[in-house]
Amino acid sequence: MWRQLPYIAVLEKAGIPTVTLDFEDQDNMMNQESLAQGVPNIRYLHASRTVPGPEDVDNFVEPMLQMLITPLTEKEKENGRWEQSQERTLFEGTLDEAESFYGQAEWVPHPVNAPIAVYSDGYPVRVPTEERVKEMLAGTSHSPDEVMTYKSDKLTIRGERKKGDPVRFAPMNWTATVEKVAINAVMAGCKPEHLPAVLAIAESGCPIESTHALGQWICVSGPYAKEIEMNSGLGLLGMGNPANIAIGRSYQLMTRNLGGAIMGVNRMPSISSPFTHGTGCAENSEGLPPGWKGLNEEAGFGKDESVVAVFNVPDGIRGVQHSPGGYRALQKSGHGGMARRLGVKGVPGPHNWLEHILPEFWAGREGAKTIIMVPEMAKHLYEIGFKSKEEVYQWLWEKSFVTVKEYKNFSWVDITTNGWMGIEPISGKHWKELDDDHMVPAGGASPAGFCIIVGGGDEEVSQQLGGRRAGENAVYSIDAWR
Amino acid sequence: MAEDRVYKCLNPVGMTNPVDTFPLAPRLNTLDGKEIYISICGEPDITIPLEKKLKMDYPNVNWKIKKTYTTDPLRLSEEEMKTCDALVQGVAW
Repeated sequence: MWRQLPYIAVLEKAGIPTVTLDFEDQDNMMNQESLAQGVPNIRYLHASRTVPGPEDVDNFVEPMLQMLITPLTEKEKENGRWEQSQERTLFEGTLDEAESFYGQAEWVPHPVNAPIAVYSDGYPVRVPTEERVKEMLAGTSHSPDEVMTYKSDKLTIRGERKKGDPVRFAPMNWTATVEKVAINAVMAGCKPEHLPAVLAIAESGCPIESTHALGQWICVSGPYAKEIEMNSGLGLLGMGNPANIAIGRSYQLMTRNLGGAIMGVNRMPSISSPFTHGTGCAENSEGLPPGWKGLNEEAGFGKDESVVAVFNVPDGIRGVQHSPGGYRALQKSGHGGMARRLGVKGVPGPHNWLEHILPEFWAGREGAKTIIMVPEMAKHLYEIGFKSKEEVYQWLWEKSFVTVKEYKNFSWVDITTNGWMGIEPISGKHWKELDDDHMVPAGGASPAGFCIIVGGGDEEVSQQLGGRRAGENAVYSIDAWR
Repeated sequence: MAEDRVYKCLNPVGMTNPVDTFPLAPRLNTLDGKEIYISICGEPDITIPLEKKLKMDYPNVNWKIKKTYTTDPLRLSEEEMKTCDALVQGVAW
């Protein structure tokens, strides 16, 4: 919808009357987006999620056309201006009173039907007193009133951004100063030394999901992770480490406060994801096999430079698919189920354990994957011949090829091929020209979509997350914000 | 007492540029003889019968189609905007 409402606004402002069809549960988002685009009274009506198309059309077509000819109401003829309070001080009172104030929630009707926090992620926050924010700002050399801008050219989900362009936060396209980010860092429980990472995350504009079950998370790469004592070891995605938790949480507080994202109003994931609770971690750069780059180097930064990678997770965690004991049996002596599947029974390792999980990789959804693996498992891949991450990405991508007939059975492909009207990127041919037995990659248009992160404890597990890798365009310099 | 101290607490909300709001475009006095675009973004279960019904039941309208399966509608060109009388956008997901 955030691509369609700007277009509708252009047409209405140009004197072309429009009517928009949408689903009933999207009304809150429609109202927010149309206001943000300067046409708060656009005419829209509902299509059904469940009624068969012909019957649905019979129901709405006449009222739909009436919306093109019924004269405008006085309200629809109004010019105006919408602005929010920009007061620097939001609340004055005791800490107890302030805690209640920042913890307030308001009722969001269908499709939520529950209260949603106004200034927080739903957890209690650390109250952002003026003194605490001042202390937080000691964590950066940047001025509190500096407007957040891009530190390099970026291709974002909302288009190209040039170095120096102001960062606009999703979904309301609001902007922020360094102080605004620091306020949110205080609320998340960050320490001043965490602020450069939070500012780097803020540079991403903190993209959110639309209607699908996206979650977001961040991973810090480079020496900064050790400086601030982030956890890249056992439980890196879990609870317990103050830096991981506070920095990860800051992302979601910024979506609420700097982006104006409200669950059920303009943030519409039907089920949503635990990743929206705010997940932050660091990669274990010392656990990388020789020649394997960290996320910083993969994105063109130096090994000694620190960055934060911002990830989307469209389909959650796909697995731990094997028992750690079964893994050890495979690699030590070629015993157990994994060895049987790989056909190496009785042959000591190292073996390519990725072969074992491949059958499930594209069983549900096409696209590249992000794989988090413990150092020992990365070492085994290195020992069997993968001398760089890129070699693993290439191997995974080549293994992803399926026939066009099979590819057509995925659910997103009708969109990504533009209803099969587009061009298949590998062959350069029109999709409709390709035979059913032509092979195409289920793992994305190129190997560059895959991502490996090394981290975690000693128990032999990996987790695979859906979604393209962060890529260099979603990796932000922390050093630029020190 | 410390708990009675009044603190100044800062505003975490992002900065909004004021938004100038505009009236809607004037509506049509009739559909007959008008050039109306159907801007389709996927949802073929709805948009295929919609296109069919509009063309069949409203033959005096000059229906034109802009079709994509993505969420980003195909824009009217400057030339098309000069002759377009109205537009139906569906489905906005």
